[in-house]
Amino acid sequence: MNQVISIHPVTRIEGHARIDIHLDESGQVCDARVGIAALRGFEQFVVGRPAEEIPRIVNRICGICPWMHHLAAVKAIDGCFGVRPAPAGHLLRELCQVLAHIHDKILHFFFLAAPDFVLGPGGDYAVRNIMGLVRQEPELAAQVVRMRQLAQMMLERFAGKAIHPVAGVAGGFAKPMREEERQGLLADSRVLLDFASYALDYAKNKVFSRFCDALQSLGTITTGFLGTVGHQGALRLYDGSLRLMHPDGTTVDFPANEYERYLAEQVEPWSSAKMVYARSWGEGFSLDPDAPRGVYRVNTLARINVCDRIATPRAQAELEEFRGRFGRPAQGTLLYHWARLIELVYACERTLELLADERITDPAVRVPATPRAGRGIGHVEAPRGTLIHDYSTDDNGCITRANLIVGTTHNIAPMNLSVRQAAASLISAGAVDDEMLNRIEMAVRAYDP
Amino acid sequence: MNPQPKIIAFCCNWCSYAAADLAGISRLQYPGSIRIIRVMCSGMVHPEMVLHALNRGADGVMIIGCPLGECHYIKGNEMALARSEVIADTLEDQGFESERFQVAWVSSAEPERLAEIFREMSGRLAALRGAPQVETIAGD
Amino acid sequence: MRPRLSFEWLHACSGCEIALLNSGELLLDLLDRVEIVHFPLLMDHKYTSRAGGEGEVHLPEAEIGLVSGGVASEEHQAVLRAMRASCRTLVSLGTCATHGGIPALRNQWPIAAALKTVFAGSEGGTAIPDTILAPLDRVYSIDEQVAVDVSLPGCPPRSESIIEMIAALLAGEPFHLPCKSVCETCPTIRTGKGQQKVRRFLANAEYDPEKTVAEMRCLLEQGLLCMGPVTAGGCGGKDAPLCIRARVPCRGCFGPVRQGGNQLLDMLNALASNGMGHRDIVDRRSLLRFSGAHGLLKPLRERK
Repeated sequence: MNQVISIHPVTRIEGHARIDIHLDESGQVCDARVGIAALRGFEQFVVGRPAEEIPRIVNRICGICPWMHHLAAVKAIDGCFGVRPAPAGHLLRELCQVLAHIHDKILHFFFLAAPDFVLGPGGDYAVRNIMGLVRQEPELAAQVVRMRQLAQMMLERFAGKAIHPVAGVAGGFAKPMREEERQGLLADSRVLLDFASYALDYAKNKVFSRFCDALQSLGTITTGFLGTVGHQGALRLYDGSLRLMHPDGTTVDFPANEYERYLAEQVEPWSSAKMVYARSWGEGFSLDPDAPRGVYRVNTLARINVCDRIATPRAQAELEEFRGRFGRPAQGTLLYHWARLIELVYACERTLELLADERITDPAVRVPATPRAGRGIGHVEAPRGTLIHDYSTDDNGCITRANLIVGTTHNIAPMNLSVRQAAASLISAGAVDDEMLNRIEMAVRAYDP
Repeated sequence: MNPQPKIIAFCCNWCSYAAADLAGISRLQYPGSIRIIRVMCSGMVHPEMVLHALNRGADGVMIIGCPLGECHYIKGNEMALARSEVIADTLEDQGFESERFQVAWVSSAEPERLAEIFREMSGRLAALRGAPQVETIAGD
Repeated sequence: MRPRLSFEWLHACSGCEIALLNSGELLLDLLDRVEIVHFPLLMDHKYTSRAGGEGEVHLPEAEIGLVSGGVASEEHQAVLRAMRASCRTLVSLGTCATHGGIPALRNQWPIAAALKTVFAGSEGGTAIPDTILAPLDRVYSIDEQVAVDVSLPGCPPRSESIIEMIAALLAGEPFHLPCKSVCETCPTIRTGKGQQKVRRFLANAEYDPEKTVAEMRCLLEQGLLCMGPVTAGGCGGKDAPLCIRARVPCRGCFGPVRQGGNQLLDMLNALASNGMGHRDIVDRRSLLRFSGAHGLLKPLRERK
């Protein structure tokens, strides 16, 4: 009895997806696919537009990580126009980018992922969600909601808009930071850092400790990893070199503007989201679950794996503990959640570092830009993974061509492999129940797509 | 080929509408498919009114005001001139040939000239293909 | 029994949902007062039972349904119709839902051309996956497809406005937005005399960073293309509009001041009426960047 079991929509993720699990006559899983149905076509409708308007358009690619698209675009436009941003502008951009990671990670861990762990992967779906968490742990939930709001309001207070920002501009930033703004942000950042440390402790003691097996096994596959590193191989979210790690652990570093030499995009007929694979490994691309080729992952676990160290103290200590337990590279898919909370601590510490830099209140935040023909490639590490915006302009400074590789795109192939693995390990002889299906979804949720 | 192009003509009360009255009294001939809408000043015609008419099936739209320098409200026709540039520029964006819109300045003492302008416009439109498909606009 | 709320998102980016989640304590109060029966971002209610039922969408009944995003595929239509059928009051949430939003920029091109651009240059040919997509000919706003009871535009709408609207609906009170423009709450200095030329935003506006927004000259008067006059106000509540606080001109993300308005025509008209050169605008069709549904943005037609 050939059968297709569909999970539609995949829920508690940050976009639209479905999972289709194919069973053969004996009820064994013979294929599983994650289908993404959204296609807006940003690469088309930026064409012809003045380049300096693009950052305010492409931020709408995502309402959860708009700062990432905004700033990757701003960097790319600087490249097209041949402009080096004012130093204070550069600092303010990184500040906003790192700050924007904070609300995102709190959202993902507590609102989307935690219900599976705290309320259990089975049971009544009407309870297994943030509303259920609010009822079961009201004080924790209240704090989570407040902390998320705080991180967003910090961005809104300083930069006007938190969702779909406008303050990143060609040549720098739209407004400088005043000293009193800086003091307010410093105080709030300390509150966030305390919460981040508390969140990671809570997760280690109350959440991960109860799911030790699953952390290493559910949806676990063997892949390479891609992230960004800076000086001495330190984890970087805003800028640096891309580092691509092969499953065997060897790495290569390269600047973002050479991405086409290392990565290639592929279209599969059953997914409107393109897949990306590591062209430079020379092994081609295959989603065969027994012998995947060219597959690498991005996002928190990848960044934790590829970096040699983290340059802020609390996060570094957490990294050392993590590596002590899980090695390097760690392949367990659910470990994405743990890595996410380590990055949350880093993001809070980095925010404090940037605010402590005297240059951040310099009023010279923007250098004027002159439109011209050029090409620019901007990249940041979005919460979802390495984000690349590649634009070309004509003599009037209007876009002629755009190529965007969004964070989740790199993870489409590995998500498919993880779902296949999870489905095959849970379903046999055609026996399926809702808890199994939710566990399969958990393998997707870890990637925070 | 459209033998009787429907034309909406916004005529200002003080000059061109008066000229149209005089043309009527004088029995001057011009196509019967011209629909005149009296406005107090050519400057009050919003570009959206022109687009609205075209979207609803008018073959052509005209704005006819007082000669420049003679506006009853001093500068209304200058505003109409500036706005008509906007309309001309955006017409092709919206899928309409620029011949479908015309602005003219006619004083109340020039009924023959008005009739001639109407006849010319009608002839020009008849040579174009039929009006683009009628579209409904939000808010209707 | 608590009132039931149902949420869906179509051709959307999730910004409206995040705006709702950003409301902090107000969100917790709301969660206490209502029962959420469907909300893919937050809870696991699915469209069909797991044994297939391809193409069917089953949604639970609710007193209030909120839908964000425009309509661009057959699946969006199916979900939207299911929402309309199952929800007593249907709210279109956010500018994509009310006016098409940024994704409706795609309407400038025929759908085939857009797909070709996106999938060109990938290996594995340019075969466009059709089993998943089934796109419509253009991006529609929600009110072009079904009857809508309440519209709340914004990109995103203000968190407080979303909560206020839900509270009003729960209390059975009507909810109307004041049809005022962004300029209504903008405190910048307006002298009535603008620059003759409109310039691109390649250098910051003139202002003293140590002084407040109220002591800055109006950005439109400074020659920057600020769409405040033709855009629905309220993004900053009763205080200064959000982009103005960032010292950046408005680009119209709350859509036109009134539901059927045309931001392109209105803006060019405003410039022309004030003696400002509209011909300096490099990409005037992007004045419709947030309101390209309702047939306002379409591919340029060839002359015959």
